[in-house]
Amino acid sequence: MANSDQAAMPTPSAPLSRQDGRSPWKRRYRKYVVPWMFALPILLINIIVVIGPSLSAVYYSLTDWSGIGAGEFIGLENYRKILFSDMDYRRAFLNNLAWLAFFLTVPFAVSLFAASMLARIRRGSMFFRTALFIPYVLPAVITASIWRNLLSPTLGIGALLADWGISGLDVAWLGRPQTALISIAFVDNWHFWGFLMVLFLSAMQGIPPELYEAARIDGASRWQEFRHITVPGIRPTIVFMLLMVAIWSFLVFDYVWILTQGGPAGSSEVLGTLVYKQAFMRFEAGYASAIGLTMSLLAGMVISLFLYLRRRGWEI
Amino acid sequence: MRNATGKSLFLLVILSLVLAACAPAAAPALAGEAGAAEPIKLTHWIGVGTGGSEQAECTIANVVEPYNEMTEGVTVETVLQPNVWEAMRTAVAGGGGPDIVTTPGPSFVFEMAKSGQLLPLSDYAEQLGWADTFAPWALSLGLVEGELYSVPHELETLILYYNKTVFEENGWTPPATFDEMVALSQQIADAGIIPFAHTNGEWRAANEWFIGEFLNHVSGPDNVYLALTGQKPWTDPEFVEAIDLLTDMQLNGWFMGGLDRYYTGTDDERRVMLGDGVAAMTIEGTWALDNMSNYFGEAAGNNNEWDVIAVPSVTGEDIYDLGIGSTYSINAASPNPDAAAEFLTYYFSPESQATLLVECGVAPAPVTLTEEQLTGLDPRFAKAFAGLTQASDEGNYGYTTWTFWPPKSDVYIYEEIEKVWAGQITSEQYLQGLQDLFQEELEAGDIPPIPEREVSS
Repeated sequence: MANSDQAAMPTPSAPLSRQDGRSPWKRRYRKYVVPWMFALPILLINIIVVIGPSLSAVYYSLTDWSGIGAGEFIGLENYRKILFSDMDYRRAFLNNLAWLAFFLTVPFAVSLFAASMLARIRRGSMFFRTALFIPYVLPAVITASIWRNLLSPTLGIGALLADWGISGLDVAWLGRPQTALISIAFVDNWHFWGFLMVLFLSAMQGIPPELYEAARIDGASRWQEFRHITVPGIRPTIVFMLLMVAIWSFLVFDYVWILTQGGPAGSSEVLGTLVYKQAFMRFEAGYASAIGLTMSLLAGMVISLFLYLRRRGWEI
Repeated sequence: MRNATGKSLFLLVILSLVLAACAPAAAPALAGEAGAAEPIKLTHWIGVGTGGSEQAECTIANVVEPYNEMTEGVTVETVLQPNVWEAMRTAVAGGGGPDIVTTPGPSFVFEMAKSGQLLPLSDYAEQLGWADTFAPWALSLGLVEGELYSVPHELETLILYYNKTVFEENGWTPPATFDEMVALSQQIADAGIIPFAHTNGEWRAANEWFIGEFLNHVSGPDNVYLALTGQKPWTDPEFVEAIDLLTDMQLNGWFMGGLDRYYTGTDDERRVMLGDGVAAMTIEGTWALDNMSNYFGEAAGNNNEWDVIAVPSVTGEDIYDLGIGSTYSINAASPNPDAAAEFLTYYFSPESQATLLVECGVAPAPVTLTEEQLTGLDPRFAKAFAGLTQASDEGNYGYTTWTFWPPKSDVYIYEEIEKVWAGQITSEQYLQGLQDLFQEELEAGDIPPIPEREVSS
């Protein structure tokens, strides 16, 4: 049996083409061409719907394209305008930074707290998880419409409380420049944090229970357990979500558009709504492309920071 | 291996065929080149907008289907589109789209025409006598570099709706001049009623309704005409006065009871307030005539009645600001432009437009409608449209911002005014910004066509 096996094996000195009965061309074809043919459909789709439009956006950002017909090449004029003269861009950018600061703190704090509480619950935990996750699966337009009414000074919670004699909350939260952006962020967070909580809860379930038992034997408090076991145990998940939330914060559009369209007086304008207005209302699609590319650049900077920290040895 | 190669090649061939199938088909022969007996199909996308699908279906049943029945060899196929403009511009830009192209207004036609996406209509207008059908100024709105590319549809204007019962109970009479309206607003506010049920919570561009009204009715339409044609700057004192007056009224809380309420109220909410008598008046478009009755009377839980008048002007003259809700054109890629032009002739005939108004509540095109044709129409509708038609025929009209201002200036008008109301900039700074942007668009030739006007000295 061993001999017959050896006989079937090609001898080392024999040319490979003769060993498997294939010509070098066929071998190269199979190695280099066939895999590409399988990848070709998805590659074509990618070129058509992602790479092509991305490259065209770079080109259009250098033109005064209106969105219809052809545009005229104007060099870096759009970028000069963004950097030096467009106050609306500056304001929207600052609002995006405020949004970033809110979403890198509030939902993380709330969801980490809730996940660490739920991790201890044995009975009925699925109910809480489902209930808290449901807002995430609701369409943005529905969530925003519900909260528009709840925040209404005449129909909402504030008006109801005022009827009961508790005044001071029946204010138009979305109608005041001082509170519009934070109110939208609150609504968006209401829909988002449940998703974050479920992710953290899943990550927490991967932490060995012995670590908690050992900590308890050593007399650790709940806070110490959370700080020295839970957080380090789910750090990759936390950091990954910090990265994603940072990227999403520069792309925010839906809740702002539905609730205030950037108003009042530009107080809730973000880069996403500014791009939409420039492209589809002011017919400055070339300028909108330039703003869009700065958004991509900001997201790219966040990803670069993430990669840099990983290379420096951070466990993220 | 041979099998594997064969399969790969087979897959490649299939993929090539699929891609080939995705390529645009060659355009069919023009109607004129085809045999006379060959049936023609025209495509027409109808938007499902504020009137809902009921209004669109009513249009099909009362105007399109009768046309299909009366013509031999030509069928108009309608498709209801919830977001018709976005779908239209994308399809037409890609060389497709329906034969009949509709846009939200003349300024949208401008870019499409310059890009060669629309068919010039001047020859059809001459052959088919469109100049006799439309109001004198109407066809000039569709001109791009001297060539006609669109015809206007849905003539609209802003009017003053008021709660007639509340007025009668308080002994108030509808204001005849702008000053009377301001004085009355103070009286109404003193009586604990909100003078105007105005919001922009659901439609932020609603700001421009009031800006346009104040510019035309305080500064006067002649001055607006001069500014629109570049003969006068927007920074002139009469425009500053209009914006100051609007700002004062807004900051007085006369619009909805406060600026923050103005920014957050919904359209339904403000109409309920008007119907219930919580508010006394509202300046809104003729598009609201059709459903205003839903907020009054027993069914709405009140016994109130409503009525309309022209928005008062400083001179006391009835001024109606002309607005165009949509335009109709022919797709440059249409294989049947002659048939499309014939359909437009039928569609814009006074008979069809009267049917659309009376049966479906669709605002008519700027064509002359006789009293007979408007039989059965609510007298308030008839009063508003009669006033509008008269103003349009006599050339004594104002200008709505969404029809006569170029797109960037238009967006500036309703976005930046909030900075004036927030105290971030002054009326002068606001108008200076408008002047700079308008001048830029004027020099670029992006101003929609402004019909000639005889300006009184």
